[in-house]
Amino acid sequence: MAGVTQSVDEQTALVSWKMDGGNFELELAQLLPDQTRAFFLARGFSKKIANTIATGCIMQTIGRNSAEKGVQGAVDVDLKHWRMLHEGAESPIKLKEQWDREWLSGEVSDTARLAFRWATFPTQQNFAPGDFGWGMTSFGLVPGERFDLKVVWSVAGVEKEAWIRRIQCAEER
Amino acid sequence: MRQVIIQSMLLLLFSCSASAFGGQLLAPYKGAQPAPDFELVDVDGDKHRLSDYRGKPLIINFWATWCPPCREEMPSMNRAWHKVKDDVSMLAINVGEDEDTIFVFSADYPIDFPVLLDQSGEVIRQWPVKGLPTTFVLDREGNIRYSAVGAREWDDDALLEIVKGL
Repeated sequence: MAGVTQSVDEQTALVSWKMDGGNFELELAQLLPDQTRAFFLARGFSKKIANTIATGCIMQTIGRNSAEKGVQGAVDVDLKHWRMLHEGAESPIKLKEQWDREWLSGEVSDTARLAFRWATFPTQQNFAPGDFGWGMTSFGLVPGERFDLKVVWSVAGVEKEAWIRRIQCAEER
Repeated sequence: MRQVIIQSMLLLLFSCSASAFGGQLLAPYKGAQPAPDFELVDVDGDKHRLSDYRGKPLIINFWATWCPPCREEMPSMNRAWHKVKDDVSMLAINVGEDEDTIFVFSADYPIDFPVLLDQSGEVIRQWPVKGLPTTFVLDREGNIRYSAVGAREWDDDALLEIVKGL
């Protein structure tokens, strides 16, 4: 049974949720829409697209294989298996590939696309013991909305899952 | 001013999270596979070909200046370089940025080993990288022997002994 804790950063007042699933730890932290806007504007996105991303419930996400040295057990994560529950409806989360398909040819520069690709959490990732990965995940909801998230991962091929309840998208400040 | 505050908050958030997840483990790479060769220029315009680095163990780090764990580990990489530069080569491959951006970065985070530019992302696509930072340790023959996803304290003596022994 995975444990989930919620905390509020004293300096930023942003909320984060941390799940301890044994060998796999996951942290989701709110990002203010302004933070996300500033980040993508600085990477070459237009104001319009940076705003669309920023208001799409972006969370900073960190996953870690917390197995001790010598313990076998790679952790595999595939975001395609994650599900979000919002207002009674279950749906997949919005993947980086989906964002990329939405942008028309010529609308986003190659440099900006490259930055987006590497700044977002990998859709599929294998974490050896000690590895951790970070990046933004997006949930396609407006600022302030709440949702539940089913996190799915596998350890040495055995699938595991846990729910993180009542995650809240950061509000505009 | 507002943007500076936002960027500071962003960095603080990312860096706190990254610190909490630090670790010193290197994962043995599946088999000893030859690393994909490449030719890239560094920030001074000099060409570097991977195959020219055979004969010494090599640490190759894929990174970007905007990547908080990359920023966090870069000082330890630079300290590691000064500890082992006679025995080990090191390369940092920046993904998607130009030399001016890196010069600004290196004013705060000095990097004394070569920083190569993969501006189009063509090289990183050929390597088994899913996220930044990812670091590979190659043996003297150019085979990938270890990988590390996420930041490490690269000047750790035990870690460097492993690298020197390859």
